[in-house]
Amino acid sequence: MQTALHASSHAAPAAPCATEQAPGPIIAIRDFSFRFRGSPRHALNDVNLEIAPGEFVVLTGPSGGGKSTLALALCGFLFNQVDGDAEGEVLAGGLDVRRTPIYDVAEVVGLVQQNPEAQFCTLTVEDEVAFGLENRCLDPGEIRARLDWAFDVVGARHLADRPLAALSGGEKQRVAVAAVMAARPKVLIFDEPTSNLDPTATAQIFDVIAAIRALERITVIVIEHKTAYLERFAPRWLRLVDGRLTEAAHPPSNHVFSPPARPGLSHFGSALAAPDATRRSTAPPAGPVVTVDRLSAAYAGPPVLHDVSLSVQPGELIAVMGDNGSGKSTFLQCLLGLLRPAGGRVEILGHDTRTTPVSTLAREVAYVFQNPDHQLFADTVWDEASLAPRNFRLWDGAAEARVASLLEAAGLAERHTDHPYRLSYGEKRRLTLAAVLSYAPRLILLDEILIGQDPDNAALLLSWVQACVAAGSAALLVNHAPALARQVATRLLFFDTGRLSIDAPIAEGFAQLAALGRTAYLVTESGGRL
Amino acid sequence: MYHPGHSWLHRLHPLVKLAWLVAGTVFVFVVRSPWAGIGVLALALLAFPLSRLPLGGLRGTGFFAVFAVVLFLIQVVAHRTGTLLLRIGPLRVTTGGVSAGLYVAGRLLSVIWMSYLFVLTTEPNALAYGLMQAGLPYRYGFALITALRLVPVFEQEGQTVYQAQLARGIAYDRGGPRRFVTLARQFFLPLLVSALGKVDALAVSMEGRCFGKYPRRTFLRQVRFTRRDALALGVLGLLSLATLVTQLNR
Repeated sequence: MQTALHASSHAAPAAPCATEQAPGPIIAIRDFSFRFRGSPRHALNDVNLEIAPGEFVVLTGPSGGGKSTLALALCGFLFNQVDGDAEGEVLAGGLDVRRTPIYDVAEVVGLVQQNPEAQFCTLTVEDEVAFGLENRCLDPGEIRARLDWAFDVVGARHLADRPLAALSGGEKQRVAVAAVMAARPKVLIFDEPTSNLDPTATAQIFDVIAAIRALERITVIVIEHKTAYLERFAPRWLRLVDGRLTEAAHPPSNHVFSPPARPGLSHFGSALAAPDATRRSTAPPAGPVVTVDRLSAAYAGPPVLHDVSLSVQPGELIAVMGDNGSGKSTFLQCLLGLLRPAGGRVEILGHDTRTTPVSTLAREVAYVFQNPDHQLFADTVWDEASLAPRNFRLWDGAAEARVASLLEAAGLAERHTDHPYRLSYGEKRRLTLAAVLSYAPRLILLDEILIGQDPDNAALLLSWVQACVAAGSAALLVNHAPALARQVATRLLFFDTGRLSIDAPIAEGFAQLAALGRTAYLVTESGGRL
Repeated sequence: MYHPGHSWLHRLHPLVKLAWLVAGTVFVFVVRSPWAGIGVLALALLAFPLSRLPLGGLRGTGFFAVFAVVLFLIQVVAHRTGTLLLRIGPLRVTTGGVSAGLYVAGRLLSVIWMSYLFVLTTEPNALAYGLMQAGLPYRYGFALITALRLVPVFEQEGQTVYQAQLARGIAYDRGGPRRFVTLARQFFLPLLVSALGKVDALAVSMEGRCFGKYPRRTFLRQVRFTRRDALALGVLGLLSLATLVTQLNR
């Protein structure tokens, strides 16, 4: 930046603005508050912020704290598309964002959203990156030049001719970054850009952010829970809690997992520790919960799982890891019988999944899917939590007490009668887990349930799983958070292109990962590598 | 449906192929002769080698072949005009019946077969871009592209919702109409909520990249019009002219 200023002041000495004094802020927010229509409280409350050109800012805070709302305010969407009341001032590159068309704000601010898939407007990589430039009516020669530049920045030139649907998660997000970069915004906002990505792809995205930093002194704002990856940028840390913005001197909370501070948990723990085995159709397991023998599995095409063998005992909490597409979710689907083995055998508490209906297996096996919105079916929070035990004809006084204590622990006790879709993302996540723990399943399958959860919410969810495991259930936790897995899991399963490449006690498992050179999985929360 | 390839037919401009499809369809409906359908069908069958498609990839053609035979037989039995050819009990087969049967079956098969060739050799994306560059307002073009992009996503999500329901003991195999309504709501509400979220994210992404800023936009991807296209369009023009002349002279 400094050298650039020197150069420009040499080239144009007459220009009065090209002096060496500190430039004005690129972002200036003054006394800004925002309340969504119909909401009792402010999503953003009296926010004041100045960001200098070229600054690198990391914005953290609990989910629901207002981070994404702030990002939408900076891009102007909050004032065009969202119903609500705004007060105060938002300036970006000197533009009054509240009164400027989004198209003009877009020349200053570019936003990369959380889910790469949701932000694609076209079907192929090249169309996607060209999209914003075509809309600006640039001529094809200029578009081609900018495309080449943007592909080089994110390292995606080799992907140019591919259909978007054929890319991996990390590749998709790189293309999404290129598509925003191609317009050369002065400010680039990343709203949790890696939350859908595996550690390998996450590391790649942060390398892309580093490359952008090295290339252009562009102003970067990153909203992110994975602060460990960001310390190398020596950023300015900001924290947004309940709509209030504060500067944080140090990177926030170095802990990943600490016992949650929510009341009612001890009560809840004892409720979990007393599963009523007598009402079950099967006796408590003496042997393994899961036996998998030379399992191979396939959807329509070629096999996605090859030759997997293992067994799971009661009381195990197993971290299941691997790159996206390595077969983790497929493996979980095989355990509930949603996918029958193409070869080999899966037994759950002695039931062979080839011959047992899913409805029978589901009484013993809980499955929580990644996106809460796909698994809320009832009209009230209470009905949602009690839906499964009723369906399984396990509804009795004990189940009712259990649901009550689960909802209490989830902080949803006062919201019994609310519609589940009125809950925040974090609350929905707690409800979907409560809804499967309500019938005391013996095997708990959790597919990336920590995505987009702040550390406190993640800790709370995991404490429930730990309580169930202590009470004799077994749990498989598919996740992309190695540091967290090390802390809570007893065993590691690592999938690599459909094969179970590591099955070991947790510490030994990570040692094997190191030996395999999977360094992306060895990031510790303090930012170093193991 | 699209079957990727680089054949002569694949490389034809999507709009030229569309013109052939439309013209062929109009032809078989306007020219009321059994030879119309059979002629177009023969032409479309002759075009098949130009597509270099594998024969095994044409799912569903068998169904339409059977359907066409049934249609043919119904027409044969229903019409009793012209010369009597055959009498089977109470059924009479006449030249009028055979002619009507050939007309209807040929018309069906030729339209189906042309559509197959069109869909299998035309990348939907190229069709959308081709239409926009030919003057279709780009908002409609991108509506088509968005639909193409979201259909497989919703298919996948529907699968996930169904699995999540199975996991929570929501059974599909019992209950009457009231239960069916509940089931339908429990299935579609999650999909709807998820779709609305996707639409929000997409709107942010599109407007954040200046979609709709100007009434027109430029295109990096040029769907090119080549000599091959000129040839195909020329032949189509000549055939159309010939048809027009013969029809007017009748």
